[in-house]
Amino acid sequence: MSQIAHLMNNKEKLEFKFAAVKAMREFFWSRGFSEIETPCLVRCPGQEPYLSPMRTIVHDEHGQSYKMYLHTSPEFAMKKMLAAGFDKIFYLGKCFRDFESFGGLHNPEFTMLEWYRTGVDYRQIMDETEKMFKFVVIKMKNHRLLSSANARLVEKKWSRVSMRDLWRERVGVDLNDVLSAKKMAALCRQKGFSAAANERYEDLFYKIFLNKIEPRLGLDAPTIVHNYPASMAALARLSKQDKRYAERFELYFDGLELANAFSELTDAREQARRLRQEQRLRKKLGQEVFPIDKEFINALKSGLPECAGIALGVDRFVQILLGCREINNVLSLPMKRLIEDN
Amino acid sequence: MQTTSDLAKGVIIRHQNDLYVVRKIEFVSPGKGSAFSRVSMKSITTGKTIETTYKSGENVDIVDVERQRMQYLYKTGNKYSFMDQENYEISEVDAEVLGDDAKYLKEGLDVMTISHEGTIVAVELPKKVQYKTVEAPEAVKGDTASGRIMKDVKLENGLMARAPAFIRPGDVLLINTETGEYCERVNE
Repeated sequence: MSQIAHLMNNKEKLEFKFAAVKAMREFFWSRGFSEIETPCLVRCPGQEPYLSPMRTIVHDEHGQSYKMYLHTSPEFAMKKMLAAGFDKIFYLGKCFRDFESFGGLHNPEFTMLEWYRTGVDYRQIMDETEKMFKFVVIKMKNHRLLSSANARLVEKKWSRVSMRDLWRERVGVDLNDVLSAKKMAALCRQKGFSAAANERYEDLFYKIFLNKIEPRLGLDAPTIVHNYPASMAALARLSKQDKRYAERFELYFDGLELANAFSELTDAREQARRLRQEQRLRKKLGQEVFPIDKEFINALKSGLPECAGIALGVDRFVQILLGCREINNVLSLPMKRLIEDN
Repeated sequence: MQTTSDLAKGVIIRHQNDLYVVRKIEFVSPGKGSAFSRVSMKSITTGKTIETTYKSGENVDIVDVERQRMQYLYKTGNKYSFMDQENYEISEVDAEVLGDDAKYLKEGLDVMTISHEGTIVAVELPKKVQYKTVEAPEAVKGDTASGRIMKDVKLENGLMARAPAFIRPGDVLLINTETGEYCERVNE
């Protein structure tokens, strides 16, 4: 009975979610975007060293088997579409990630919103993200469950701060002086965090960021943190003004990360190099190593136009609108309930 | 040395020369960086609650504790009394230790207490507990039509819960003590 009870307990929150998702779609349709589809089943999943795609076996009618994965993000497929001439596209659907908590801030399957457009960089995506949030809040204004405190925050002017300014302000350190793993490790020790000799820059960076900076991010207004160190660029292009940083931003609200965006890297050789680097790191971490998606590299080679895009956790966005810290309350049948009774 | 996957509510860890009881753990996987656990924990010596972040798989120094099955008896002032069911000894626990969980206690409830050097530092509740409904107002006509199929009910120990419109006084409800949510009606 507890699945039915879960649905009854959360019926109003779920109705709120479905209305908010409808408003999100309306926002993009009104701006001339196409809602697109991408396959959830892929042969070459994302390479992010810290994500675990779910593996499955698919058979054809002769019994021939194919090792496939559920996508962790529609990013590769969407960039192939951009290379093929689509220019303003969004995906609103499920993504899957293994080895994450059943509840709290995560569920193994969750709803992702990704949108990309050509001819713009990450600054236009910042503007569009802020507009989309404000649009949805206005649409949901009359709903009893809308958190008025959080709605007021969304409606304020958002703050935008570079990672370097943030470190100067909150840690009292110029990030320019700690862009190598060696220097960041020394800073970690100085701040009372452990730092092993072979630890990666990114891990060291996050020790300080997660403890000293993130919990207080976006408390007064939604905060866009931009320009990450180049070594944390992932699929972002480097800043034209300062190559030590990449054109990447994340959106924070109440200490919670809601979205991650890039001016997309369009250089095929550089992209292939980063993917090989990630493969090596996955191997080192004892993670399954995936083949590089050659068609993705070909998409860049064939002339992926200048473009920018963003991935936003829809369930978390709804949590913010409701002022609800538990993701399970905004999911129809979360993993936790599925395994409880059967 | 144990790792972050051994962390749980009620576990005691040594952190920067002090002992802390873990109160809440939030797992976060940012996708672009390594996963971590944000742990809210309370100092046993100062009572101060702090938040700290551990990378998944990082070593944590978990301290041995004593776990005992005890039964809740009654509340006097700011103290809650529990009885050891083996030796019938009674121990008192400060309201502070229980925090918000105190509202789930009812006379005779079996709990697990966690002690460090003779002092109870945390109390674990059963995941689901049965309570008898004492007040359940008739659902107002129109509630169902407007989609509000749940109503507020009062349970035997004063706990308030949201329950389906068909619940009547006397019904026994199973409540999830992690979320406070109604699970099902369990009348015999």
